[in-house]
Amino acid sequence: MAGEKKSILTKGLFKENPVFILMLGLCPTLGVSTQVINGLGMGVAVIFVLLFSNIFVSLLKNVIPNSVRIPSYIVIIAAFVTIVEMVMHAFAPAIYKSLGIFLPLIVVNCIILGRAEAFANKNTVMDSILDAIGMGVGFTLAVTLIALIREVFGAGTITLMPIGGFDGVIEIPLLYTYPVRIFSLAAGALLLMGYLKALFEWNTNRKGR
Amino acid sequence: MRNFARVGITLSLIAAVAATALAMVNAFTAPKIAAYELQVIKDALVEVSGGYAVGDQATTDDPLVTNVYPLSGENGDTVGHILQLVGTGYGGEMVVMASYHADGEVIDARLLANAETPGLGKKAEVPSYMEKFKGTGGDTAVPVKKDMLGKADADSVSGSTVTFTGVAKAIAYGSDYVKSLGGK
Repeated sequence: MAGEKKSILTKGLFKENPVFILMLGLCPTLGVSTQVINGLGMGVAVIFVLLFSNIFVSLLKNVIPNSVRIPSYIVIIAAFVTIVEMVMHAFAPAIYKSLGIFLPLIVVNCIILGRAEAFANKNTVMDSILDAIGMGVGFTLAVTLIALIREVFGAGTITLMPIGGFDGVIEIPLLYTYPVRIFSLAAGALLLMGYLKALFEWNTNRKGR
Repeated sequence: MRNFARVGITLSLIAAVAATALAMVNAFTAPKIAAYELQVIKDALVEVSGGYAVGDQATTDDPLVTNVYPLSGENGDTVGHILQLVGTGYGGEMVVMASYHADGEVIDARLLANAETPGLGKKAEVPSYMEKFKGTGGDTAVPVKKDMLGKADADSVSGSTVTFTGVAKAIAYGSDYVKSLGGK
């Protein structure tokens, strides 16, 4: 039983990684993965929304009539996304600014609706929480990994939070002067996505055998 | 029929609870957001003022020029204006704050609220983005097309031409607007 719970939590990280294996939420993944901090900020926002939408969908699974379940999920998800948006705007304006349009678009992020429909409405609250954390962290890992590779090669920097005297930007000597620009453009994101998907697919299949 | 009512009531209840929760969060965050937005405008005014004193805000009838702030020199006479302009970028409306000498020459500018693509059009928020506009609008025209830029500047806007055109057109419009004000 303990092993089963653990697998609900960890499957989202690699084996069923939402981005690389389930191929969900690609639009925000490719869109915000230009800087590491954007990836992390988006990840935190998605974890929060996913966690609460999973909890509420799971709690209300016997209350919501089947015929209107999708509209109900959308209302629940939209409410939490709007809360995240307002709180970020008030307390983390820098991240709010750089995430821009992708923050309200979490509403239609397929990972969240997908987990509500495929997992939370069939499972207990506890399992749904584990699933949300696993999938959320998996998404964060994926988007941050893509952002790290794209930023290092495309701009020669790693942008993190500015803390104290540290301005939040690490410059990588050679790549900063001669960046491989394609990585920061959309085409580079898609190419990179393809290679990473192949890598994760190989990893999942290797274990399955 | 009973089922129909149940479906409707459940959905309305969920929506009502969600709306209440949002109203509560909004009541808490709205003042902080308003204060932050005001601070952004104030900071931008000081940044683009070019060392001149910024006067009181005045509104205009022009839909593309939201606010006008006069700039005064050391002896109190008006030497130029700061305009809060509306431009159209890739993600819709953008707010551009630009300062001009009385003859319409750009002193400095900043891109404020916008919904441009992070990593592409968003780069226009960096102060150095506006270097290519400084000093134009007077004797030389504001570059509103990519082929009016030098190679390095043209490269810096590649991938975000729509944003560049939006910002440039807003700044050019502001320049003409300042000229129409005369020396006032």
